[in-house]
Amino acid sequence: MRIEKCYFCSKSVYPGHGSAFVRNDAKVFRFCTSKCHKNFKMKRNPRKVRWTKAFRKAAGKEMTIDSTVEFEKRRNVPVRYDRELVATTVKAMKRVAEIKQRREHAFWKNRMLASKEKLRTHRKKKLEAAKNASVKLSEPVAIGSPEKEKLREKIKVSAKSRSALIPGEGRSMGMEID
Amino acid sequence: MGRVRRSRTHHAIRDVHRAARTRARTRDLDQIQLIDLDPKNRAKLEAQPLDFEKPGLAQHYCVECAKYYESDAALHSHWKSKVHKRRCKELKQPAYTIEESERAAGLGREGKRTSAVVASIPTAMQQDL
Repeated sequence: MRIEKCYFCSKSVYPGHGSAFVRNDAKVFRFCTSKCHKNFKMKRNPRKVRWTKAFRKAAGKEMTIDSTVEFEKRRNVPVRYDRELVATTVKAMKRVAEIKQRREHAFWKNRMLASKEKLRTHRKKKLEAAKNASVKLSEPVAIGSPEKEKLREKIKVSAKSRSALIPGEGRSMGMEID
Repeated sequence: MGRVRRSRTHHAIRDVHRAARTRARTRDLDQIQLIDLDPKNRAKLEAQPLDFEKPGLAQHYCVECAKYYESDAALHSHWKSKVHKRRCKELKQPAYTIEESERAAGLGREGKRTSAVVASIPTAMQQDL
């Protein structure tokens, strides 16, 4: 039994799963899902598609140079069955996976530390830019506050200063008769 | 309520499915970069014998784009085009291959038999025999 790798996303393709395309130069392209197959048919470069392993490795988002990554290998010469060898191999696989997980976590932490620093400087820069901006913002002031209207009501008008322009203090419609 | 279907989704691209058929496949980027662009193969491709099935009797072939042209003028105008220049730019980067997909998955290859694991196998087999 051989577990193949998907051409597009590099996932494991187990027997009975996925599909394969054989090019006219006898190269076999294996795909885990129809999604990967369709992307291949669209002639996309997996190195430029963000969800593939190839992108993540090429962009430095995952470990590439490490001794734990180099254990898995395609072997074209079959090994004769040996019970002890299998037992030790299984034991070693578990141990390697353990170490690999720890190293990957450390790698991720290191990567995040760098990105956090970057984000912090970016924020600082942005804040400085906002402070030195030419346009200054001030708090909005309410127009037509109730206090002003009250003041207007308090003004007293004496009988003498009544306007001559308004006949009958604006009450009567007709001419004034004495 | 769902989104109303947008208008103008047809871009006058005819026969997309036909163009994507296996029958209509042209050479892939990795094939061109690793095989066709080799000077010896290139010379062979540019000086092909007369073929009545191919466009322009297979006399005007663009190696980078893996395409036959009808005339020399058409080929020269193609070399000046954006399509050709874009293709050349793509070919400058190393092509993506099956080996790279396996390497990305963490699957190495035993290129030579000098590694310790493989060397121990024949001796083990001899002991069994």
